[in-house]
Amino acid sequence: MSGPSAAGSLPVAEPSQVRRAALRLIRLDARAFAAVIALNALAAGAGLVGPWLLGRIVDAVKAGAGVGAVDRLALVILACALAQLLLSRYASYLGHRFGERTLARVREQFTERALALPASVIERAGTGDLTTRGTTDVAAVGATLRDAGPEVLIAAVQAAFILGAVFTLDPLLGACGVLGLLGIWFAARWYLRRAVTAYLEEGAANSALAEQLAATTTGARTIEALGLERRRLEACRRAVEECRRTRTRTLFLRSLLFPIVDVSYVIPVAGVLLIGGVMTQGGAVTLGTVVASALYLRQLSHPLDTVLFHLENLQSSGASFARVEGLALASRQGAAGAAPSVPASDRLEVAGAHYAYDGGPDVLRGVDLTVQPGERLAIVGPSGAGKTTLGRLLAGVDRPRAGTVTVGGVPVAGLDPDRLRERVILVTQEHHVFLGTVRDNLRIAAPSATDADLRAALTAVGADWIGDLPDGLDTDLGPGGHRLDGAQTQQVALARVVLADPHTLILDEATALLDPGTARHTERALAAVLAGRTVIAIAHRLQTAHDADRVAVMQDGRLTELGTHHDLVAEGGTYAALWHSWHGD
Amino acid sequence: MTERIMAPETPDCRSAGRYLWWLVTSQRGRIALGAILGSAWMVGLTLPPYVLSRAIDDGLTPGRWDALAGWVGAVVALGVLNAWLAIMRHRTMTRVRMDAAFRTVQVVALHATRLGATLSRKVTAGEVVTIGSGDAGVIAQALTITGPGVGSVLAYVIVAALLLAVSPLLAAVVLLGVPLLAVLLGPLMGRLSGAETAYRARQGELAARFGDIAAGLRVLNGIGGKEVYADRYRRGSRELQEQGYRVGAVTSWIQALGVGLPTLFLGAVTWLAARMAAQGDITAGELVAVYGYAAVLVLPVTFFIEGSYGLSRGLVAARRVVRLLTLEPDVTGGDARLDPPASPSVLRDPGSGVEIAPGELTALVSARPGESAAVLDRLGGFTGSDVTWGGLRLGDIDRARVRERILVAENEADLFAGSLRDVIAGSVDPDEEAVERAVHAAMAEDVVRGLPDGLDSPVDAQGRNLSGGQRQRVRLARALLADPEILLAAEPTSAVDAHTEATIATRLRAARAGRATAVTTTSPLVLDQADTVYYLVDGSVAATGSHRDLLRDHPGYRLLVSRDTHDPEDSDGTGGDGGAGGAGGAGGADDVGGAGGFGGARGVGGADGGAGAGADGTGGTEGVDGEAGATGARPEEVVR
Repeated sequence: MSGPSAAGSLPVAEPSQVRRAALRLIRLDARAFAAVIALNALAAGAGLVGPWLLGRIVDAVKAGAGVGAVDRLALVILACALAQLLLSRYASYLGHRFGERTLARVREQFTERALALPASVIERAGTGDLTTRGTTDVAAVGATLRDAGPEVLIAAVQAAFILGAVFTLDPLLGACGVLGLLGIWFAARWYLRRAVTAYLEEGAANSALAEQLAATTTGARTIEALGLERRRLEACRRAVEECRRTRTRTLFLRSLLFPIVDVSYVIPVAGVLLIGGVMTQGGAVTLGTVVASALYLRQLSHPLDTVLFHLENLQSSGASFARVEGLALASRQGAAGAAPSVPASDRLEVAGAHYAYDGGPDVLRGVDLTVQPGERLAIVGPSGAGKTTLGRLLAGVDRPRAGTVTVGGVPVAGLDPDRLRERVILVTQEHHVFLGTVRDNLRIAAPSATDADLRAALTAVGADWIGDLPDGLDTDLGPGGHRLDGAQTQQVALARVVLADPHTLILDEATALLDPGTARHTERALAAVLAGRTVIAIAHRLQTAHDADRVAVMQDGRLTELGTHHDLVAEGGTYAALWHSWHGD
Repeated sequence: MTERIMAPETPDCRSAGRYLWWLVTSQRGRIALGAILGSAWMVGLTLPPYVLSRAIDDGLTPGRWDALAGWVGAVVALGVLNAWLAIMRHRTMTRVRMDAAFRTVQVVALHATRLGATLSRKVTAGEVVTIGSGDAGVIAQALTITGPGVGSVLAYVIVAALLLAVSPLLAAVVLLGVPLLAVLLGPLMGRLSGAETAYRARQGELAARFGDIAAGLRVLNGIGGKEVYADRYRRGSRELQEQGYRVGAVTSWIQALGVGLPTLFLGAVTWLAARMAAQGDITAGELVAVYGYAAVLVLPVTFFIEGSYGLSRGLVAARRVVRLLTLEPDVTGGDARLDPPASPSVLRDPGSGVEIAPGELTALVSARPGESAAVLDRLGGFTGSDVTWGGLRLGDIDRARVRERILVAENEADLFAGSLRDVIAGSVDPDEEAVERAVHAAMAEDVVRGLPDGLDSPVDAQGRNLSGGQRQRVRLARALLADPEILLAAEPTSAVDAHTEATIATRLRAARAGRATAVTTTSPLVLDQADTVYYLVDGSVAATGSHRDLLRDHPGYRLLVSRDTHDPEDSDGTGGDGGAGGAGGAGGADDVGGAGGFGGARGVGGADGGAGAGADGTGGTEGVDGEAGATGARPEEVVR
């Protein structure tokens, strides 16, 4: 959601770590991997027999052999072709299974690591990067494991066999073939250095164009209302130009690579014919050997094309794998072991707390506050006063830069997540409805809750609409299912809290999406359910403050007023002014 | 109104086929070049086996040096020529495809802007997005057939001629066998992509599941349930793995047959040719050549069949494009060409009884926000109605001229990616001072300050990198900068806190002084600024007057807009408290400004005073910067 921040972004694995991780994956499935290689080698070997036998046939025909000899050789050719077909089928099947298993390992491990990330890491890095790694990057790794990897492996084995065959026929002809291919190596190196960035740019430009078109069409009403036609078309034109530029760039790269590669395929063939001509003269090799060598070298183009075609895929999926593996480092990052201590009580204590985001100026400048168990405290104040930050410190999401935030004498941010959940839960207006049913969405807070418990929790937060849903608690909330509006989503989030039943609840504008009447009703119903619990409410609706035991007013990172609603109104300070303003007096 | 700055020609939208033909005729020269190069390339590919066989027969076998050198030289020359033809063909066809794709995108964009609000009523966003992300590319790919497609037919004919010269029997076997193979393999390849599609769909589901976990990670961290989600993902992953095995069982056969069947065929042809060579019907060189021809023919035939599939897919995609391009804008009235009233005039909605008077600030209050929004939609001419403007039916007036003077600003309005300055500037060219004025009036200074490069900072599409409250104020700033004669704003302050709301209310009034403005709202802070308030019940005006009059005379209105702390549920003493507070508030109304500096400046001249008060209230700018800038997601304000 938020842009990438250099300070908080997730780490990427080093090349050595990537290699280790890849080797580990192969070791985990070593036998399957070995079998895949062996079958591919056999298939490639069978594939080489054909051209060799063609050479033998040519020799046999030259020598005036009869139809019978030709038939025998030709039958072997057909048998080899059939063997190659069957071998390559099983090689590819085993390779496919190996790829699927390994991919499942990679993505499951990634998800486990993502779930183990400490809250502070997630807050810093945002979930956008994490989502990209868990979807796009994992898919890129998967594509390589399932398609590109096996194909390149097969092609490499084939190419090795072809060259090996030519060397076996005659080492000198083989050397001639390898020398002719050197051009490809240089061209590919030159190309690969530039291709990944160029294709990434092309991909980005394509998505940008699709996005511009989507924005122009989905926003057609806004465009008409504001007369933005010219600007939108201009934006589309620019996106098209960028697309054209990036595609022209990749076309340029191909324009150099392709011809060099194509010509390189011809050079070994020509060389073998010339040198072979000299050698047959001296009787060093037979005509058939030269013909077979030339045909083999012509065959090289197929596997080499496959390798070249996939090389840039391999390169970019390697980068994806480095990002996927990078999460292992992030999980370790946050696991700074703090001695697990047990809070003595539910008293929240903030003393001299300062806080700044990533080296910025302090947004909290020395806050002192004690919240008694069972108290209802409202925090009010203008936007940017630090209310949300204070809420996050109280909930243990962040640690203060200076000063302390403790519950029962223990730093809140030091509690392990499971223990913290029993003590303090923060509900913000950033809600999430999970794919699945209403029941799935509520049960995360209390896996053993009965349907009656779930209904009671929904009733407590005023979610009467549950009765109107087509399938009640079984109603699917995913895409294509029932869509909850903002207010209903908020109520689901609050119902989860009721089910989780923490000692302290921090509500950061948690009822802001409800209409004023419902919000008030919900807050009160919630208060009844949470009787005896500590509730800290950050709100811009001042009814909330009016209903609270105490009101804390924050301004400019400091707590400026603290007292009951009536006292503060009577004092005629900031809160009183706020109160009057709220009423439009 | 819409300038034709992009696609100069009008597409032929009579059918999908004609549309594709239009894309062809729009670049005749390039297409012709592609066909020539494609044909030359294909023909070129068939020649190496011939040259190779001559090198063997005339040079190598008899040991004739000059002939060998000559034919090997021909092999190399042909290789170079083919490489050149291949890349020139590729370059030309890439340009052909780019032209087709971009032309399609441009005509679709142009037509979308012509359709305006009609578009979303007739086409879902998904359909149009498909055009941008997929169809344009598919259509472009279909044009590939114009180059190598033509070439492949030619190549086939040439190989046929060469083979016939060697042996009619071999020619018959190869020329019939290869297309037969291609036709057999074609459906297999189709099944391959079918199996892959099902797998991809499941893969997408699993990815969505991960996206779900990532997006809800904060909730899972805060409330628990990680185990459940880890289990669920693992189960999905294993299911996908099983599905993958099944797909692999099928695809591995298909892949093996795809390569293996042509190899077997080649083996059979070789056998046949070898027997003929053994019997002396053909030479050893011809035997090698036949082998080469059979191998080479696979390419043009595959190209042709793939091209046919591409064309059929392209037609399907073109059908979607044509459907969009043939949509016509809704015309609300007859010929809709009347001139609008020359001077500012009253806008009247007989359906509800609302009138927007020139130069006034009018407020619409309704218990159901949708009802007042519907009134604004009618007044803005987005839905057909009997609304009149200066006595003329709004639907009869030229739509473009209506848009120039009446603006409906709503919270759902799209924000387009660009610099904050461009986003706010809307259709006008950004004038620094005007932008700053609009930002000030919409109380959006903190948005500018909170972004790293101020007005030059990039704003994501739909303002995704802003909070709900910030988006709302940016939209308001954009509407204010557009400075229409009549501004119809729906709930312009629904997502901001009380301080901001009070300030916006006064600044809005000041910024719109002398121009007609209508807002829908239930905020007493905004209502108090209005010259006239319409209280709507069931979509029609139930009462009209000033905010204070309505508060006094209409209990329903009072219940709806007042922020008193008592409500019908209260049976204890809090009602009394609230009443007292309310009374105190009412009593202090005259000296609110003195009390706290909020909303102290009422009326036109008070904008500056309001600004000062607002700044006091928000407690300086550093706090705003620090918090807003660092968290990214600014939870202080209500998401829409």
